[in-house]
Amino acid sequence: MSLAVEVKSLVKQFGNIRALDGVTFNIKEGEIFGLIGPNGAGKTTTLRIISTLILPTSGAVKIFGLDVVNQASEVRKVISYLPEEAGAYPNLSGWEYLEFMAKFSKGSASDVKRAIEEAAAISGLGERLKDKAKTYSKGMKRRLLVARALMTRPKLAILDEPASGLDVLHAYHVREIIKRYVKNHGVTVLLSSHNMLEVEYLCDRVALVNKGKIVVEGAPQKLKAEFNSANLEEVFAKVVGYA
Amino acid sequence: MLKGFQTVFVKELKELIRDPKILLGMLIIPLVLFPILGMVLGYAAETAQEQAEKATLLVVDNDGGNWSQVLVTFMNASMKTIVVNNLTPQQVLEQDLLTKNNSTQFIEIPAGFSANMTAHTSGNRNIKATVNVYGVFQGGGIFSEIGSSVINVLVSGFNRYIAPDVVQTTQSTIIKGEIQTGVDPATLSGLMMTQTIAIPVTIMIMLTYSMQIAATSVAMEKEEKTLETLLTLPVDRFAILMGKLASTIIVAGIASVAMMIGYNYMLGSITTQIPTELSVDLVKLGLVPSPLGYLLLGISLFTTLLSGLALAVIMSAFASDVRSATALVGYIYPVIFIPAMALMYLDINTLPLAVKAVFFAIPYSQPIIASKAVIMGDYTTATFGIIYVAIFTVVVMYAASRLFATEKILTAKLKFKKAGKTATEQLE
Repeated sequence: MSLAVEVKSLVKQFGNIRALDGVTFNIKEGEIFGLIGPNGAGKTTTLRIISTLILPTSGAVKIFGLDVVNQASEVRKVISYLPEEAGAYPNLSGWEYLEFMAKFSKGSASDVKRAIEEAAAISGLGERLKDKAKTYSKGMKRRLLVARALMTRPKLAILDEPASGLDVLHAYHVREIIKRYVKNHGVTVLLSSHNMLEVEYLCDRVALVNKGKIVVEGAPQKLKAEFNSANLEEVFAKVVGYA
Repeated sequence: MLKGFQTVFVKELKELIRDPKILLGMLIIPLVLFPILGMVLGYAAETAQEQAEKATLLVVDNDGGNWSQVLVTFMNASMKTIVVNNLTPQQVLEQDLLTKNNSTQFIEIPAGFSANMTAHTSGNRNIKATVNVYGVFQGGGIFSEIGSSVINVLVSGFNRYIAPDVVQTTQSTIIKGEIQTGVDPATLSGLMMTQTIAIPVTIMIMLTYSMQIAATSVAMEKEEKTLETLLTLPVDRFAILMGKLASTIIVAGIASVAMMIGYNYMLGSITTQIPTELSVDLVKLGLVPSPLGYLLLGISLFTTLLSGLALAVIMSAFASDVRSATALVGYIYPVIFIPAMALMYLDINTLPLAVKAVFFAIPYSQPIIASKAVIMGDYTTATFGIIYVAIFTVVVMYAASRLFATEKILTAKLKFKKAGKTATEQLE
């Protein structure tokens, strides 16, 4: 199976702070890969570099063979990024927001319409899509944004804390969307989370990140067995020396 | 006292005082802007007075009698006087004597002046002598009529010296090389003052208001957390910038047209409301812009607005939210206010070269300069201003496009804090 993402010796320096310190991992095509770790570990910085938002200080990242620094505009055609604290335009309706976003990726009007209808189905927002986004609850907004990220059927979906801050039901709905979508359309997903349950449920493989470095990588089941732990939380605590 | 009031009050006070952007704004306005304005106003009044005192007075003596000699001697004691004989006012202009003698005004002592003076001083109080005062209208600032008032002071002094009201003056104005008989430069300046004040004030309001709107365009994306998503879409970032600017260009365009309509209406109102006995009609005098003048003024306004909006978009990229963006844009206001207010009082053509260069270099003074220039038929100055602002705008837009092309659009912040702390804020 070919590689969707190749990250090699990635370093990012912000002033005196070394946010990433030699991060290396690969993601296979069609895989759901999770970056997990505490706040400030470097998850979001990694995703932002992969999404072409910021430049690495050193190291290399390739998405389906495309370099994120030198071929950024080509990379943007195959990815879809959902930031952790993303919002929607408050004065556009959910439908208008999806249309606005779809027009960048889809050429013909029929493709745009199909993408919006797909997003409407993914989000499950129904008639509420006609309402302005500022009237949505946090959960509804997140569902809209997840649907936006997936509606164009990107080759790689980069989701930063996809169920962040959601209640149990909304989080469940979002996870189901991701799982189902990957299964149906063969999309590769890179997500970050500090919710170990979410990661265990969704991901084929995970990388544990701490202080800008990947401390361990593998399938959740394999890691739990290797570290003789009941869950990934325990694995993490053992790896970083808390347990 | 209200319960909790003190706690809220202290917290609000701490937040306000500790926000360097707000504090800087609070200090800049009173401590920098007003003293600078004071200096400008003082300088303006002083310059106008000095120029009036230094000015050469051209006297056309068509009388050639004893009394005209007395008047010339009296005036020469107060200001440098050059006397020419037997010329009509029209000939003075044709021979370009004002420019040659570095003067902006002349007095004609008409034939019969001495005879009338003699008659008056001999007891026939009903006969009065007349001198005709001609002043060049330069479309200057509020203090620009000081020149003509100096002559009136001199004539009054002469009357006190000889006999009350023995000499009367008639006032005429030279506009664009044409003598407009009976048009008092002071009355004209009074009328034109409306424009002298209205144009800069309107431009100040338009610029600050539209820049506030433009400043929110990027800051709103940051505040609503939509910018990151937008920047990862398969769309040229220059297209994003141009899309944002284009919408503000529409606003700027509508604003420019609205201002031109309002301005035209204002000048029309002044013309129609002037009492007829004053015989001052700005349209007849050629003191309203021609269609080309209106066009140039509109273009000048449009390019200036565009440059202001582009600059506001750039500055807003350095802010994390709308409040910070509007505070940041506020730092540009002194650069808009100072030339606008200064040009209300000053005629840019009378300024020393260095000060003139500074005012010309500030793009936001160009529509004000253009508004005066087009009235005087000086299309070169207006066109030069447009070209200059257009170049400035292109440079600003290039900087904006570079900013949008890099990660700085996300990470740029004005560093009021230590670098380490800013970097920490960027991590998550």
